Amino acid sequence: MSERSVSRQKQGKQWYTVFSPEQFEREELGDTPADESEKVLGRTIETTLGDLKNDASENNKKLTFQVNEVAGDSAYTQFDTFELTRDYKRSLVRRGSSKIEAFVTVLTTDDYRLQVQPVAYTTKSADHSQEKAIRRTMIDLVRESASDRTFSDLVDSVVEGRLSSAIYNEAKQIYPVRRVEIQKTTLEARPEEVAAEEETSVDVGEDDSAVTADEDGAEEADADEE
Amino acid sequence: MTEGKDDIWGIAHVHASFNNTIITITDQTGAETLAKSSGGTVVKQNRDEASPYAAMQMAETVAEQVLAQGVEGVHVRVRGPGGNQQKNPGPGAQATIRALARAGLEIGRIEDVTPIPHDGTRGPKNSGF
Repeated sequence: MSERSVSRQKQGKQWYTVFSPEQFEREELGDTPADESEKVLGRTIETTLGDLKNDASENNKKLTFQVNEVAGDSAYTQFDTFELTRDYKRSLVRRGSSKIEAFVTVLTTDDYRLQVQPVAYTTKSADHSQEKAIRRTMIDLVRESASDRTFSDLVDSVVEGRLSSAIYNEAKQIYPVRRVEIQKTTLEARPEEVAAEEETSVDVGEDDSAVTADEDGAEEADADEE
Repeated sequence: MTEGKDDIWGIAHVHASFNNTIITITDQTGAETLAKSSGGTVVKQNRDEASPYAAMQMAETVAEQVLAQGVEGVHVRVRGPGGNQQKNPGPGAQATIRALARAGLEIGRIEDVTPIPHDGTRGPKNSGF
């Protein structure tokens, strides 16, 4: 019964092949059906780093790509999210050790805004001051590396673990660290969106705030009279 | 169908609660459904909807449907109810994966996607999990 209706539905649909961004060698990621090519835009496709590189040891890193261009029956994507798999993240947590997380929003040199979430696991439970110091270095290092890298360079260094090993080398001088990973990286805004935000945002100068304060005062006075 | 290729993969979303099992097979983006089924389509009694047997029957039918559409293998995403309820998938999950494999679909990655709260509301009463 349902088989026939499914095949009728599918008749008008065309399969599009999804490719990874240039940075990841334009690899074939999968296929998606759609009746109109516009409907493919904005779809996300998830894969693991192991699949992209044919290296099974990297299968605990998930990459999500978003379709941003369709040509013929090919769809081209852009990096969207990098994340560790849930089971791998869980396997890192041990009893009697600290987990130090940070959330850093950075702007790359070519105006992409990304949120990077580094996480460090210590060998033994660390003091709060040590945790704070490690978190500080994590944040500083992520900021620093973002300030002199382009979007694709930063994503590369996150995905290939260069950023996390840099953090590891700094953090182990503060307290013995077992493992440092970048647990998640998301693309928050593209250059156009960042520019649009800057245009619409209004600088709040001293004059403006003074005016509003006056108005507030006037309203209060009115209320008092009533 | 415009099938010239034969290496299409899909994603099998398996929602296995203690009262039902819902199987949806989509394309790799998750945007287009290729086949779906739930407990009520194969058994009469409500209490059997979550049973491994029902899950097997459902998996067989959806596997048949997607194989006809040229899908060769699936990645599996299992989930339990999650939230403030059970975090573990119900009895239908394991049976589904087994039946899909037996029906001739290749099984890729298996991932648990149960929604885990970063602390939300209080759980239902007497919940011992």
